[in-house]
Amino acid sequence: MSATITGWSRGSVVAGPGRATLASWTPGPVTALSERPLPAPDAHAVVDFDVRAELGRRGTSFLDRATSLAVVACRDALADAGLEPDDTNRDRIGVALGTTVGSFKSTSEFSLDSKVSEKPYLVNPVLFPNTVMNCAAGQAAIRFGLRGVNATVAGGPIGFLAALRYATNALERGYAGVMLVGAAEEFSEHRAWAHALSTGDPKAASVGEAAVVFVVEASPTGRAPQADVLAVCTGYGPAAAGGRDRALRSCTRRALRTAGVGHDEIVAVVTGEADEADLSEYRPVTGVLGKEVPRLLPKVYFGDCGAATGGLGVGLLLAGHRGIGPSPAGAALVTGCDPDGAVAVAVLRVVRA
Amino acid sequence: MAETCSRVVVTGLGPVSSIGIGPAAFATGLREGASGISPITSFDASGFPSKQAGEVPDFRPERWLRRIDPEGWGRSGQFAAVAARVAVEHGGLDLDRVDPERAHAVLGTTSGESRVLESLTVQFGMDAPDTMDPRLLAQLPAARLAHAVSEELGLAGESVTLATACSASNYALGYAYDLLTTGAADVVFAGGADSVCQWAHAGFHRLGALTMDACSPFDRHRSGILTAEGGAVLLLETYEHAAARGATMLAEVLGYGANCDANHPVAPDQRSVAECMRIAHRNADVKPSDVDYICAHGTGTPTNDAAEAAAIFEVFGHRPPATSSIKSMIGHSMGAASGFGAIACTLAITEGFLPPTVNWSTPDLAFADLDPVPNVARPARVRVVQNNGFAFGGNNAIVLLGALR
Repeated sequence: MSATITGWSRGSVVAGPGRATLASWTPGPVTALSERPLPAPDAHAVVDFDVRAELGRRGTSFLDRATSLAVVACRDALADAGLEPDDTNRDRIGVALGTTVGSFKSTSEFSLDSKVSEKPYLVNPVLFPNTVMNCAAGQAAIRFGLRGVNATVAGGPIGFLAALRYATNALERGYAGVMLVGAAEEFSEHRAWAHALSTGDPKAASVGEAAVVFVVEASPTGRAPQADVLAVCTGYGPAAAGGRDRALRSCTRRALRTAGVGHDEIVAVVTGEADEADLSEYRPVTGVLGKEVPRLLPKVYFGDCGAATGGLGVGLLLAGHRGIGPSPAGAALVTGCDPDGAVAVAVLRVVRA
Repeated sequence: MAETCSRVVVTGLGPVSSIGIGPAAFATGLREGASGISPITSFDASGFPSKQAGEVPDFRPERWLRRIDPEGWGRSGQFAAVAARVAVEHGGLDLDRVDPERAHAVLGTTSGESRVLESLTVQFGMDAPDTMDPRLLAQLPAARLAHAVSEELGLAGESVTLATACSASNYALGYAYDLLTTGAADVVFAGGADSVCQWAHAGFHRLGALTMDACSPFDRHRSGILTAEGGAVLLLETYEHAAARGATMLAEVLGYGANCDANHPVAPDQRSVAECMRIAHRNADVKPSDVDYICAHGTGTPTNDAAEAAAIFEVFGHRPPATSSIKSMIGHSMGAASGFGAIACTLAITEGFLPPTVNWSTPDLAFADLDPVPNVARPARVRVVQNNGFAFGGNNAIVLLGALR
């Protein structure tokens, strides 16, 4: 398997003029984003994100924050690749987005409206689609006219990597020629409290918000490659019984074998670990590699961005963060786990920073 | 299209539905035109004009589950795990003889653990945000539908939940087909699960899509869906794996097609649905004239059935195959719906009958030549079937199944 990244939403990782910021490197005040009390005054949120400023008024009135972020990231990725959907290509352009539960806030508020209204059916029907997890992928397709296979993969912390796996299959099987692959998680009081109350250990210092999308192609024609996706593998081993470590080691071996990449070629690992002290992914993965390699930690830089975590990791590699984006001679692993036991490993080679 | 490596066969069926649990009960229900619709018990429906749904009556997961503790999982995950367990038993599969890394779980859903979310909503919104129960928060991620299956059956392969709304089971079956045919899997448990919940009931009501009485797809006076729930899982294997263990092969997955309307978040699009049929036929190497039966998406809303019927005429010409909707019997089980459709298609092939569209009385002149198999199941020799699934977000997916060649 091999697919090629030809564009991405750079604003997810790299700030710059004329580019929407789609993640936050530093925690800042978030009280303006919630009418309810928050567990902490600061979080990694794109506080000044304004979907109307990005996309205009038309078609944006009822988009929730998660969907808005995802659609803007899709726009930026298409622009970066120089890919313009039109009647000659739109049937062959698909979308695969990772998620945890869609918008927890949109769904919960819709649910609450039904619970507290005088009549339980007095909910706003135009908000109903926001409660369905494929809302962001569907809206991205509508805005850019993308008629290819359109999938939403609920993978939680490995949501992006599971979407990348789904997308590379669709490309390999010839169902689509191009896939927009990404994930978005919004900041909301719901996610903030869920993060604060979660008893999962260890966890990132702060909840985060991000959207990140890549243009991934089977065989790029006329667009410059930025990275090759050499393999994506996922698996499962019950975390409670110690099976997750085993699954991650096995998944790493399988991914390297599929990619045709030697252990010695791996120059960096990007993990979904919570902080420097968390070695739950790094230890099993480097155990397979038989050596220590530099590690990037998206959750330390951006907070816990849920399903977007792996995508931010790929973005860090493409941006050459800390100078350890892999050179054309080397490859990198992007790994992830969920609390139950799902694991994912992607092997990438950056072609051009 | 990439080179196909392996044929994919259906060897086990796991329906957990409002008309019964297990393939025998489900087949009997389909044959008899049974109704799974009953007064809602999942929530207080007294304030709704429509107080009925297709709930799974007396669902006791502990009777079926061997490894996972139902207490640790939401209702949708329980449906998924029980459905998978039923499929294992029906397929006579000895899991100890399966390579766990080559055995995958792929589940589709619309609303995931919607009942868990509803409970958290009450805590968050009616009490206080900090009263949300951490155990419920841990049960919320939709990924856990597939994980419930992986844990219950001890699978170590991919554990994937596809949240493509009401066509999600067809997406799952399609992805499972790919895993098998490309050599990445020996065994895949594929299907979907969803639970009846108040907010979906409210949303469909406000869209004007919920009927006050019976769900009567393709009837001129059809007035909408009834929400429903359940788990529908099929045991799929490569032909070689099934043959080596001497499994009974019930049907073959011929291929699938998926596309996106890219037009409207909730309204169906005839042109796009027709195109999805053509894609599915092409991928499955099937001609329209090969198809003996269409298991319709057939929600029973005026717009869906009109668009679906028009698309069928567009692709099949003026004499399309018999087309019925099992949602008339079990209701609209959302992400599980096309999984139940695929199970019904398999039973149509193995038992030689067409499931009926019940509650049907009056033809719709817009598609008067469509044969909805009205009210009574019909004996038939069924070789190739088309299972339709459409969804919010314009996520269309169609699976083609066939009798063993």
